[in-house]
Amino acid sequence: MVETQANVARLDELLERKGVTRRRFLEFCGAIAVSLGLSEALIPTVHEAIAESVIGKETGALTPVIWLELASCTGCTESFAQVDTPDVATVVLELISLNYSETLSAGAGFSLEEAKEQTIEAGGYLVVIEGALMEGWDGNALRIANEKGTEIVKHACANAKAVICAGSCAVDGGWQAGYPNPGGAIGIQSFLTREQAAGSFTYKGGDGNLPPIINVPTCPANPEHMVAVIVDVLLVGKLPDLNSQNKPSLIFSQYIHDNCPRRGHFENGEFVYQFGSEEEKKGYCLYAMGCKGPQTKNNCPIVRWNRRVSWCVEAGAPCIGCAVSDPATTKNNWVDLNAPFLKRFRNLNIGDIRLQPATLAAAVGGIAAVLLVAHAFGMKATGRTKGGADFERQRKWDMQHPDRAIASAPAVTGGASEEDNGTPAATAAENEESKADSKEGGTQ
Amino acid sequence: MAHLAHYRQAHPITFVITHWVNLICMVMLVLTGFIIHYPFIPGVMGAARGVHICCAFVILLNLIYRIVAAFFVKSAPTGGTREVEKDIKSFLPQKDNRHQLGAWIKYYLFLKKDHPLGAKYGVPQKLTYDAIPLLLLCIAFTGFCLWVPTSNAPLFVGFTDLVGGIMNVRIIHYFLMWVFIIFIMLHAYLASIEGLAPLRMMFRWKEHKGLVYSPESHTIVGEDKGEEDNKEKS
Repeated sequence: MVETQANVARLDELLERKGVTRRRFLEFCGAIAVSLGLSEALIPTVHEAIAESVIGKETGALTPVIWLELASCTGCTESFAQVDTPDVATVVLELISLNYSETLSAGAGFSLEEAKEQTIEAGGYLVVIEGALMEGWDGNALRIANEKGTEIVKHACANAKAVICAGSCAVDGGWQAGYPNPGGAIGIQSFLTREQAAGSFTYKGGDGNLPPIINVPTCPANPEHMVAVIVDVLLVGKLPDLNSQNKPSLIFSQYIHDNCPRRGHFENGEFVYQFGSEEEKKGYCLYAMGCKGPQTKNNCPIVRWNRRVSWCVEAGAPCIGCAVSDPATTKNNWVDLNAPFLKRFRNLNIGDIRLQPATLAAAVGGIAAVLLVAHAFGMKATGRTKGGADFERQRKWDMQHPDRAIASAPAVTGGASEEDNGTPAATAAENEESKADSKEGGTQ
Repeated sequence: MAHLAHYRQAHPITFVITHWVNLICMVMLVLTGFIIHYPFIPGVMGAARGVHICCAFVILLNLIYRIVAAFFVKSAPTGGTREVEKDIKSFLPQKDNRHQLGAWIKYYLFLKKDHPLGAKYGVPQKLTYDAIPLLLLCIAFTGFCLWVPTSNAPLFVGFTDLVGGIMNVRIIHYFLMWVFIIFIMLHAYLASIEGLAPLRMMFRWKEHKGLVYSPESHTIVGEDKGEEDNKEKS
């Protein structure tokens, strides 16, 4: 038995001890049900599940969690600490046993590292990873407790029940992987995939599979999403529904644009074109200011932030698409894909040149137009604008290959008055020949 | 005066209509596309998106009809003749055009003085027309990756993931639009630079007299310039 693991008492005692009323607990169950996309009618079920499977046990182990902080700004932890329902104390103390967290753990140094080690040995824990893994300088770009970050991640993930990547950095490197990515930031999923393929990472009992990975992007990870995912894993005992990028599909299946409170202004064509304008005061749509809501999948408008007070667009800022992420590569991190934030397009990176696709396209189109105008002067100068040049008498290739020529030079060239278009009968007969001809021609 | 005669058989009325549909749809798609990209005209976003999606479906149906009709409708395989065969032959290699690609390029680069002989479509023209349906399918595909009702279908999600997200799909869609813009510029230029007769045929279905070409002997065999000829033949 791991010494650092928390034990639980009966539900009622527990709630009483924490000063949580029964009403408050039911609210918490309601919030969880909504976060999981369940109907409110299922609140009693959630209540029961929590009481039975987690808290209701007389005694027993809570699911241990290791919260690894790699190259991060601690924003995800900070954000998590702001979660409203259940508040962070509830999550940390009642639902999980947070055995290792650099920011939240009371312990520090050797004893905390030992607690982590014991937890990993015992198995059955969740790993939450915050921040990007840095591979630069042979992995020395990120060292914690005198160990390379790359080794820490492999070690912690090898025996985990599931790995939750909190925030865009852990998903695909995030802004730290932005061009030119000197520190070699990489997301956890692509790192483990590559290491496994190279034979330097094996998931214990995985039969050659990676540990289950749940990607929860956004910068920072929305605390409500984190709680929903953790509770989902604990309650149902299995992973939430994941999409092709291992993101919970309930959260990341609709565009921000789809649920945006300013959507009506978009449909009406009412836009903010400049900050400080009348349009901005009226709360018009921020599309023309480069809002990335139409191409960012997240439920920000519904869940919102900071205890559901507000969120970016409601506060008057265009979405900058911080949830855009692609766990398969670091190239599509949200900064490279969305900057400049106030333009409708990202920049194209051609070597060291940065330019807008619209500029490039208009330049190519302009060059084409100029070339056509120049060509038109050429056509005019060569006298081809009134019906083109005179036809060649015979194809050059035919002249060079008389034995395989399709046509010899006619006795009379264009301009002669001889009529050879034939009567309808002759035409039909000739048509037959022509068909036979073209069949032969087709085989060559 | 070196045009081949333009007869209605070269462009049956059904293809004059599909051409009109293509033109209207493309102009509307490009115009509304620019508005959707950046709403430089306020107030019309909802309408622009509706028209954009509507025209996209119309042009796709028109494309399907055009391709199917190519196998059933007969048209003249070359200019200057009223003889017809299956329209699709004009889009496949033809004897009249064999070995003529170099000649056409040289002609347009002013390296060759006389006009190359060929079929109804010159070689670069034919290659372009063959590419247009493929480009239309490509741009429609990227459009469906962006349009919310279809964007979650596995096929479209797969492509979106492959190119690294919606932003990149949008840029591809935008660049493909410019391919069409440049095509329209080039197409309109080449169709009208040697005289407006082809335009009169394509838009108003008006015939134009000129040299007569024989698809059998693959060469110019005379000239049609009389009113009475016209009555006799049509």
